[in-house]
Amino acid sequence: MLKMDKYDSVGKRIFRIDAKSKVKGETIYPQDIYMDNMAYGKTLRSSIPHGKINKIDIEKAEKVEGVLKVFTAKDIPGKNHHGVLLKDHEAFCEKKVRRIGDPLAFVVAETEEIAEEALKLIEVDIEELEGVFSAEEGMKKDSPRVHDEEDNLMYTYNLKKGDIDSGFKESDIIVENEYRVGMVDHAFLQPEAGIAYMENGRIVVSVSSQYPHFDRMEIAEALDISEDRIKYLNPAVGGAFGAREDITMQIHLALATYILNRPVKTIYNREESFLAHSKRHSVVMKYKTGASKDGKLKALKAEFIGDTGAYASWAYNVMRKCGVHGTGPYEIPNVDIKSHAVYTNNPFAGAMRGFGATQPPVGHEQQMDILAEKLGIDPIDFRMKNIFKLGSNTATGQELSESVPLDRCIESVKEYIEKEIKSEEFKDKENIGVGYGATFYGTGYGNGFPDVSVAEAELNKDGKVNIYLEATECGQGSDTVMVQMAAEPFKSGIEIINHRHCNTDLTKDTGTAAASRQTYNSGNAVKLASEKLRDKLLEKASVYLGLNTSMGLDIKDNYIFLKFEKDRKISLKELAEKIYSEDDCEGLLREEAVFIAQTTMMSEEDGQGSPYWPYTFGACGVILEVDPLTGRVQILRAVSAQDVGKAINPDLIEGQMDGGFAMGYGYAIYEDLNIKNGNMKNNRFTNYLIPTSSDMPKLKKIIIEDPESTGPYGAKGIGEPVMTYVAPAILNAIYDAVGVRINSLPASPDKILKAISNKKEDKDEVESYDKSEEKSRFVI
Amino acid sequence: MAKFNINGKEYEIEIDGKDRLIDLLRDKLHLTGTKEGCGEGECGACTVLIDGEIADSCLVLAFQCIDKNIVTIEGIGNDEELDPSQQAFIENGAVQCGFCIPGMVLSSKAIIDKYEYPTEEQIKIGISGNLCRCTGYNKMIESVKRAAEIKRERSVKNG
Repeated sequence: MLKMDKYDSVGKRIFRIDAKSKVKGETIYPQDIYMDNMAYGKTLRSSIPHGKINKIDIEKAEKVEGVLKVFTAKDIPGKNHHGVLLKDHEAFCEKKVRRIGDPLAFVVAETEEIAEEALKLIEVDIEELEGVFSAEEGMKKDSPRVHDEEDNLMYTYNLKKGDIDSGFKESDIIVENEYRVGMVDHAFLQPEAGIAYMENGRIVVSVSSQYPHFDRMEIAEALDISEDRIKYLNPAVGGAFGAREDITMQIHLALATYILNRPVKTIYNREESFLAHSKRHSVVMKYKTGASKDGKLKALKAEFIGDTGAYASWAYNVMRKCGVHGTGPYEIPNVDIKSHAVYTNNPFAGAMRGFGATQPPVGHEQQMDILAEKLGIDPIDFRMKNIFKLGSNTATGQELSESVPLDRCIESVKEYIEKEIKSEEFKDKENIGVGYGATFYGTGYGNGFPDVSVAEAELNKDGKVNIYLEATECGQGSDTVMVQMAAEPFKSGIEIINHRHCNTDLTKDTGTAAASRQTYNSGNAVKLASEKLRDKLLEKASVYLGLNTSMGLDIKDNYIFLKFEKDRKISLKELAEKIYSEDDCEGLLREEAVFIAQTTMMSEEDGQGSPYWPYTFGACGVILEVDPLTGRVQILRAVSAQDVGKAINPDLIEGQMDGGFAMGYGYAIYEDLNIKNGNMKNNRFTNYLIPTSSDMPKLKKIIIEDPESTGPYGAKGIGEPVMTYVAPAILNAIYDAVGVRINSLPASPDKILKAISNKKEDKDEVESYDKSEEKSRFVI
Repeated sequence: MAKFNINGKEYEIEIDGKDRLIDLLRDKLHLTGTKEGCGEGECGACTVLIDGEIADSCLVLAFQCIDKNIVTIEGIGNDEELDPSQQAFIENGAVQCGFCIPGMVLSSKAIIDKYEYPTEEQIKIGISGNLCRCTGYNKMIESVKRAAEIKRERSVKNG
């Protein structure tokens, strides 16, 4: 175990470095930028989910006084496409629209009002085509094609381990159920906004993004210019959760300023924000799980049908992750999983917190509870018999060779819930339920794809350390933990670090702020860069101190000194002065470090390989009450235990745990886009409900440390895993409270009421609300 | 020209009848600490204080605020001493992406101005009009309690 006091900056509850400016309202988000001579842009979007574009007539709109230009597909000088994986998005649709919200034109005018007025004058002739609105429909051979050249079934991941048939033969109990999770929205608070302008013949684009370097590349391709003619600034990001991975307005703004030579700004309102960015994949999950009488899992067969909507975005990776995480954190000898991604004319789905690892727990954790009940085993004991432990093999055949503290996560959650349930408060109450969820999560891009972070560190003229790192601060706190990790080798507090980021001219590619990878990947890179710089400074200091070698030199509190003759020392400030007096050019002392995560590509045939590293583990428990008259759920106690490797900043981890719980809670109970024929009916905060302060329970947050040797200071990323176990814990607790299984999210009051009333009518509990449970069979 | 008192300063500004208070603050005065998250009074990112009461500045028309005292996030605390709510939100790790924070901090201020010892229920209700997607509210609720404490400590210190 690492000891807390071993570290100077790491492991401390240091206040966030961006907090002061945020509480003062001084932090600048793109909508806060105003420039002289600024024009406004508005986007025309398709109101038809699937159609052939016959004509887009901009003549009347362009004649409106104050309109500078109306941009359409024909104005794109380069490639009219973008996309994080496949380039299947068009910057402006040219021949076809594939979803409601597809961009058709971008009006730029002197004022926002004029742009809005002109937007109404664009005449659009779109011939509506038959659409496809569910993944299951989309998979059918005769369904209309969303992309003319592509099958709707665009990807299938196969995972096979052992022999599934003998696995079920060895099973004494088999449970088969279908679970459905719908598309949901990230609902970050800052709607998309941005501004672009020309600066010395170069384009400057300022839009909140999770990955500025990638956005810059996409803009360059569309504009047919070299990347170095674009400077991408990433101002404050008002929440992202995956929705700022696919670009939205970036090409439109860059193109407009490039052609018009004026600053162009645009701000999406909330409805347009819902239209513009991706959604979480809706997935139909068919689970068949078998266990022996003694409580050992024997076989798991699952099929996941993911709706990626009109565009691929991250579909391959999301549905692959869904498949890899389909077993849950359990050792199962025989596994057969298929995970599909299907195009439809629904809103496009992409990255959202958990990235395909959030959906399966809704299935596998309810399966675990159903099996435990049928086996007559306590659900926690049942889990403990099957969980991943040190040395376990995952279904993809990857050995969990270190840092697997899932047992501690589950035990600590259980301990808290079992203590709390004895509270007087629950004594005479009916309809109280307890539920648990346990999950694992694989970090990083994965599957052998180069997962690279580059960081640089240099001593500046003031004797402080500049770090150059793109890693996007989306609100998760990465700037603060990066500074803590960068500061550690200098043992002089975080004040030594001068953090530079958010500018593609200054920083190298650190990869995207996604996949819970920044702490692990970029943390490693920045730690290495700092260590290299520290070693170089010790070398330099040895010369100025008249020593033969840097051996025995140490650094602390802004001084480099000889450990056994402490008066022989030089301050970093003096050192900087000496170095820069010899050569005045900053950058000479810059050290670069590259970190590349290790994963291997899985076999296409059976999905065997090591798709992620490291894995994190966690568990959640809730006590809740269901009102049988209204169907309302009130969470009364909640606990999450999260394996973090090593906590770089416990405050920030707790913040993630609270936020992840709230998002999981919203997923389980409230959030519903209500999509009908490709149209999101709930596309505002008035009807798309996310938890408020009145809904959130207090959350007991347990941080489990078990350092990971490849992690920076032992750390692993936790931004996503903290939400994965929440929804299943709530669903299991609802069953415990009122005896109904809600197999499709959200578990809204009406669904719960209906389930309760069905249960009363049926009387037979096994054949309650979920008809598919009839398939559950006893083989004993 | 209409007269406004914003953050203790008198302004004479030309307004359009359609201008919302948030437009006046952001577009005319560039007081961009007030954020727009939904434009229909659901998210509370645009919260300001009008005569001490919280209000969504996206739902109020500018002319309705003539001769009223408006306080925005820029109008509380100063360089020497942050407002108790600002201080508490930093100390308690209640800030993440920050977009809801100006509104949330002003709601916190309104709560502790009203209640010397706010209960958890009063706090939860007091900030229930401010949506936050990042923090799950718990550290915010703790922050409001702490803000009340800081305010009491300061009033003892200042006699």
